[in-house]
Amino acid sequence: MKWQVKYALENLNKDVVGRCTAECVQNDVIKIVIKEQPDVLAAISDAYTISKEIANQYVQENPNIDFLCGYRKECVWDGEAISYLQKNNIGWGNFGTLHSAALNGNANVAEQKIFAFANRLIRQYGIVDKVDREFDRVFQVTLKNRHTIRIGLIPDYEPTSDNVRSLWKTFGPVHIAWNINPSGNPCATALEAGEDLGCKVLKTEGMKSYLQTL
Amino acid sequence: MQSIENRRNEELFTNSLMTANEIAVYLIKHCCSLEAFDSYMFGSTLEGIGHDIDILIIGPSGNALSVLKQELMFAGSELPLDILYMQPSEAIETDFVNRERCIELSVLASMNPRI
Repeated sequence: MKWQVKYALENLNKDVVGRCTAECVQNDVIKIVIKEQPDVLAAISDAYTISKEIANQYVQENPNIDFLCGYRKECVWDGEAISYLQKNNIGWGNFGTLHSAALNGNANVAEQKIFAFANRLIRQYGIVDKVDREFDRVFQVTLKNRHTIRIGLIPDYEPTSDNVRSLWKTFGPVHIAWNINPSGNPCATALEAGEDLGCKVLKTEGMKSYLQTL
Repeated sequence: MQSIENRRNEELFTNSLMTANEIAVYLIKHCCSLEAFDSYMFGSTLEGIGHDIDILIIGPSGNALSVLKQELMFAGSELPLDILYMQPSEAIETDFVNRERCIELSVLASMNPRI
């Protein structure tokens, strides 16, 4: 059994209230049984990046899956993979997203929890015309004044210099490193790293007013 | 002849998922660059098998950090590592080690194997 499947089963089956059990069906696919909720068939991937091709391969091999889980913390989802899965009524995200979606009975429509709020919020700003999701955490945003900016999301509680520099190194230049965690604040060095690179490091409170200055 | 990759995987999952102690021993053994950094574990793995393994690395940025990241990526290819890299000033600013009750990997490695 693959390592990521072992971890998923171990953590699903230690549910203290006994609401949840899980077993391996075949290869990367597990079945989660929740009391009073529909069973969930989920593929647990150890990929570092989930592209449309990888997502498609999972779906072709396992057409009945409800959810595709990227188990690694560093797993990145390509925007096209997200669109593909959503069109096929398959939820996507990390293990935490899978676990809560299974408990809530909404695995088919669930999306990576940590970015979900920011993804909704940016589309609700009145000054935003269009949002293209390049990756799970990188958006190309066109404002109504036709200004286009690239925004990268940092979910950490207290972003460090390394968080900002790694975002830049992995995904390329961004205009804004958006710290989407509602708590905590970026370290002073994270702000300095942003200045060095030429991007703003902003909390959600500062996003809307900054966009209005562009 | 057995490949390094196969030997590493056997070490990882001979029987079951590794304890905090076993993970610390394994990472220290396979990531020589850890010597130049302060390294800790925190979070759920200290209480049992968590869904991820929280590691804190404190030290300067630069080439040594790049090398360490590569070593950790290779060693963690079959572990759900969640690694936070901090500069010393960031660790002081956030008081992260005390706040999250981080335990040094070297201390964990010297403890009872079932912890």
